[in-house]
Amino acid sequence: MTRFEVIEVMKRIIADNLDDMNVDNIDPQKSMKDYGANSLDMIEVVSCSMRELNIKVPRAELAEIQDIDGLADKFMEYIDT
Amino acid sequence: MSGIIKLRIEDDGIAWIKMRDEHNKNTFSRNFVEDFLDIMNELESFKDSVRVMVLQGLYDVFCAGADEDTLIALTRGKAVVRDIAISERLINLEFPVIAAVEGHAMGGGLAMATCCDIVVAARESRFGAVFMSMGFTPGMGMTTLLSELVGPYVASEMMFSAKRFRVSELERMGTNINHIVTKIRVLPVAKDIARQIAEKNPKSVRLLKYALSARKKKLLVEARMQEDMMHRISFNYPETLKNIRDAYVK
Repeated sequence: MTRFEVIEVMKRIIADNLDDMNVDNIDPQKSMKDYGANSLDMIEVVSCSMRELNIKVPRAELAEIQDIDGLADKFMEYIDT
Repeated sequence: MSGIIKLRIEDDGIAWIKMRDEHNKNTFSRNFVEDFLDIMNELESFKDSVRVMVLQGLYDVFCAGADEDTLIALTRGKAVVRDIAISERLINLEFPVIAAVEGHAMGGGLAMATCCDIVVAARESRFGAVFMSMGFTPGMGMTTLLSELVGPYVASEMMFSAKRFRVSELERMGTNINHIVTKIRVLPVAKDIARQIAEKNPKSVRLLKYALSARKKKLLVEARMQEDMMHRISFNYPETLKNIRDAYVK
């Protein structure tokens, strides 16, 4: 799976989890917080994404991540390409 | 009392209980549980002036349920779940209780809402029966009371999956939650319902509460028998301790 595909999966899940979000308007350089996500929204987006990507990233490794791009990079480390 | 939970009784007989532990985000710390039970005692001593109660939490978190220390103690077979007393005391109150759930309600926090007679919830928040995400079975009456609030099939999905559902998603799935409104509307809606109850003859309100709560009391007793047994087993699984530690990684 390419990084582009990972971002597409995440965008779709973010749009599913937040109000009034359109997939096309999500900028990966932003944080989910910029789109009004609260802490539990973010946890749910992350766990839902990991389920779909079939990966498991330990929570401790996610703590410092700032934006959607950063999250995609972290996910890529765990995806067998 | 440490002031984590605040009781205010208005002249019209509406008692407001606000859980407001900003620091621990309304988790069941020792102080939280002790304060809550103290407030319940206080309420009972004022019960003649209370006609209806509204239970509210913080704007972002209604109540987040058990704290890590309590859960870890349970895996060592130490503490009995004193949190269960919260469910019991809520269900046994002699006047109607309205849950005004502005923020998230997780685990035991969601159980608290299920112990109330009427639930008003914020569409933006999340409800999660998160117990199984840490590998132990639900408690605090959840196994019987959640299906009262959201219906049996949705309750099963919530408990098995441990997913933190957006209330807007639950709204689409269909539940028995009285009102699902935007967050800023939660308190006004709860207050309006409380006022309608407060203007009724309080003696008859109590009578009705006694009749209507009988079913919930029975369900809680049934739940406890099974939940206690399942806790003794599931908190003992070696994976559970690890899961709890992972879940609370800061």
